Amino acid sequence: MSSRKTTTRSWSWTVSDIVVASVLAVASGVIFWGWNLSYHLIGNLFVFYPPVETLVHGMWLFPAVLGALVIRKPGAAIYCEMVAAAVSALLGSQWGLTVLSSGFMQGLGAELVFLAVLYRRFSLEFATLAGAASGLTGGITYHWIVPMYAYAPLETIIHISCFALSGAVIAGVLPWLATRGLAASSVLGPLASRRAHREPMLLGGTPRG
Amino acid sequence: MGEAPGVAVTAEGWSWQHAERETPAIAGLDLQISAGEKVLLAGASGAGKSTLLHGLAGVLHDEDAQAAGQLLLDGVPAEQARGRAGLMQQDPESQVVLSRIGDDVAFAAENLAVPRAEIWGRVDRALEAVGLGGFGLEHPSAKLSGGQKQRLALAGILAMRPGLLLLDEPTANLDPAGVRQVRDAVLRSAELTGATVIVVEHRLEIWAEHMDTLVVLGTGAGVRRRSPAAQIRTDEALGDELSSMGLWVPGRDPLRGLSIPRSAGADREDPPPEPLCPEPQGELLLHAGGLAVGRHSPTTRWRRGAIAPPTLTGVEVEIRRGETLGITGANGAGKSTLLLTLAGLLPAHGGTLTATAGLKGDGPGELLAADPHDWRSADLVARIGMVFQEPEHQFVRGSVAEELALGAEQAKVPGTAEPLYTPAEIDARVQRLLDRLGLRALAQANPFTLSGGEKRRLSVGTVLAAGPELLLLDEPTFGQDAHTFRELISLLQDHVDAGGTVLAVTHDAAFLRGLQARELKLQRGTPPPEAPAAGELFGGMRADSWLGRRNALAKLIAVFLITAALVVTIDVVSAGVVVLASLAALPLAGIRAAGLLRLMWPFALGAVVAAWGTALAAEESGAVLVDLGFTTISEGSLALGLALGARAFAIVLPSVIIFSTTDPTDLADSLAQQLRLPARFVLGALAAMRLLGLLAEHWTTLGHARRARGVGAHGGVRQRLRSTLSQAFGLLVQAIRMATRLAVTMESRGFGAGRRTWARPARFHAADVPVILGGALIGAAAVCAAVAAGTWNFVWS
Repeated sequence: MSSRKTTTRSWSWTVSDIVVASVLAVASGVIFWGWNLSYHLIGNLFVFYPPVETLVHGMWLFPAVLGALVIRKPGAAIYCEMVAAAVSALLGSQWGLTVLSSGFMQGLGAELVFLAVLYRRFSLEFATLAGAASGLTGGITYHWIVPMYAYAPLETIIHISCFALSGAVIAGVLPWLATRGLAASSVLGPLASRRAHREPMLLGGTPRG
Repeated sequence: MGEAPGVAVTAEGWSWQHAERETPAIAGLDLQISAGEKVLLAGASGAGKSTLLHGLAGVLHDEDAQAAGQLLLDGVPAEQARGRAGLMQQDPESQVVLSRIGDDVAFAAENLAVPRAEIWGRVDRALEAVGLGGFGLEHPSAKLSGGQKQRLALAGILAMRPGLLLLDEPTANLDPAGVRQVRDAVLRSAELTGATVIVVEHRLEIWAEHMDTLVVLGTGAGVRRRSPAAQIRTDEALGDELSSMGLWVPGRDPLRGLSIPRSAGADREDPPPEPLCPEPQGELLLHAGGLAVGRHSPTTRWRRGAIAPPTLTGVEVEIRRGETLGITGANGAGKSTLLLTLAGLLPAHGGTLTATAGLKGDGPGELLAADPHDWRSADLVARIGMVFQEPEHQFVRGSVAEELALGAEQAKVPGTAEPLYTPAEIDARVQRLLDRLGLRALAQANPFTLSGGEKRRLSVGTVLAAGPELLLLDEPTFGQDAHTFRELISLLQDHVDAGGTVLAVTHDAAFLRGLQARELKLQRGTPPPEAPAAGELFGGMRADSWLGRRNALAKLIAVFLITAALVVTIDVVSAGVVVLASLAALPLAGIRAAGLLRLMWPFALGAVVAAWGTALAAEESGAVLVDLGFTTISEGSLALGLALGARAFAIVLPSVIIFSTTDPTDLADSLAQQLRLPARFVLGALAAMRLLGLLAEHWTTLGHARRARGVGAHGGVRQRLRSTLSQAFGLLVQAIRMATRLAVTMESRGFGAGRRTWARPARFHAADVPVILGGALIGAAAVCAAVAAGTWNFVWS
């Protein structure tokens, strides 16, 4: 029943969509910043084998999937990831202006997954896939498109795989849980995702309540 | 600005039912309001007052909602009457859109496509009308007080030349001085423009005598009553009716009939002759001697700059068992900071804070340190309870019952991991609280979905659950209706009667009277601390420098050219050229060497890490220097690593210099006007960017609240991770709430539809040419030097 409503929903962005997506992206920037302050030591864990450092880099990808799950409009993943990247560029990013290209590419990975299902499916498997895709395109960007690494082939594959794995969990499962939590808190009133907590967990599942 | 006469409002059988709700917010409303009439709109919580105002402002449109009837402004459907009605909401932060006050006022006029030549005249007159004419147009909106922000919002509305002012509890979040200023500004503006006014407010005495008409809405129904506003003071039956809806009626004490033995003097509005409170006699619990408090930790350096000075110094407080103490004082005097310090959530900047044996307790309690900040949060919850101004900051569980159980579950015996309460005791406490708070029917409800009054009660209940002796509260009555006020006083009185102690920061005289609290008045010492404005996080804009005055797009193009030159090759020479050129450009950016060091050291560290990573993980070539077994460092990989590290540093340096001299507003103006990016998205992102500092403040408060609830980020990795995730979720909730209100503000000021004008043109000037040329030159020099030195190493080869 709700799926029919979702399909008839307009693909154009309302003012609420734009402002919520923007604020979510900025809040993601704050979460990056808070994460940095508390966990600046976590990087040291990977000092002896740097290719696995991307196991925690899914952190940088979550705005893409979160934006797509909450807004449910074309471009939400790319827009949120780009704005979050722009915020980190303004705050001073490790990667300077190149965060914009990596932000775009990371957003694109998630965007393509939701585009493939015409923005009608937002269940757990698609969220996870989108997170992994975001890590994959992010990794590809780092190694081949705007190269920031010069690893040997095996290390490159490990580096990108860990990025995709991390993306699937930190930027896939967690944003999906967060979206359901937000819907259950009834703060998503004006948005297309306000019933997310009553939707089935997986494609083909039965809706709750 | 007399050319905007008032709008006549007509509602004909108007109903609205929000999507996902079972009952209509408002049904069958028939209402006529004449042009220029001043209406006070009242009704119980949930009577649909806000829905009506949103409808009149033309911002209600949801394809899944059920609507019927019509709302007309001068005969035109409200949604089509763009710019005729202006809406002010309760939360000052979401009423401001842009960072500079001139831009903020101009925003609505731009959205209505007012010609540029006319906009600034409107801005000046609007600021003058609300009494903010004394500030320059460039004044940062973040530096205004709550009341000033609301007046700024009013100016933004007036710049549209509206015929209808809609005010949704405009003063509920303000201190008494702010309340008067906002009310007077509204009344003056109405007089000046002849606009029709509709105000929603719980505290009727603020507006009663200045309004023409009182309209009372029935819950889920239409108009229940319409009378001349003057009757509020004279008509006893009307007063009873309004009181029963939880409204504050002039001359009536919301505590009447409540069995508070000591509140005999609190019947009338005027305060009793003055403090009858004798010096308290109970046992000393907490003692502050020469205490200095500050918002930022005294030990960790705020990222860019010296240690922040304390907000307040030399505080002497003695808190004794069984007393009620109210901390009052002007905005920015450091009241909340003091409270957080007394609660053991912020470290003291100086002086001493000592918890006595009376607070720590006997037996294992004696093991605790003197300063509550040194306690585990499991020890804190059972001794000092902190109720935050925003109840939602405290919520960490999925249901009311779990939320109530949490504090009791977390409480531990000092020095051990042993729970303080057995499961049976915890359950008994939860059951008792559910009844006492009147939340039994909502035990399984999600705390975020409760009404404002229910959230307030729950936030106190969650804290009481762990059985703390000392209860601290930050502005607990802000924005609450009279029913919740009464409930709150009664809850706190119970706590005191049971031997507990209450300390509250408040502006609310009725609250102090109701609890017969001893008053501690803070004098403002140092200048008021501001919310960390975005600029502070950005490391302070250097907008006055030569580079700061250049066109933002020109600077962006220059950095783009330099970055492109660095991206295409991995070599030390090109990186070196860019670093040297950037250092040479520092004087143009007004950055000194010491400042640069502070800005750049994390990135220098990052460059070293990048170099190390590649040295280990790149293909082996040349002699092996170190063999770690699973990998090696070779001559070739080390050289490649050094080149990558240098390149990473060189990529960051120019962007840090440019962004620390570029105001986001200027950048947005350039992106939308010169680069022609979609204005709706650019302005949406810009408005969100303004909330950066505020969101960072929410993040910090959410962290404090987690410690206060016994689930702080401490202990093992699992506990830290859980706490951080819960903090992140809390931030997302606040972010979306803020965004939803901000979207209403922006839309009610004409944003998002049709052509707009730009009050400030963004274009290139002659002085911007050297910026772009400079960028091109540095990029070209880097490439040429690398080729000449033979280090050129094309990345895509």
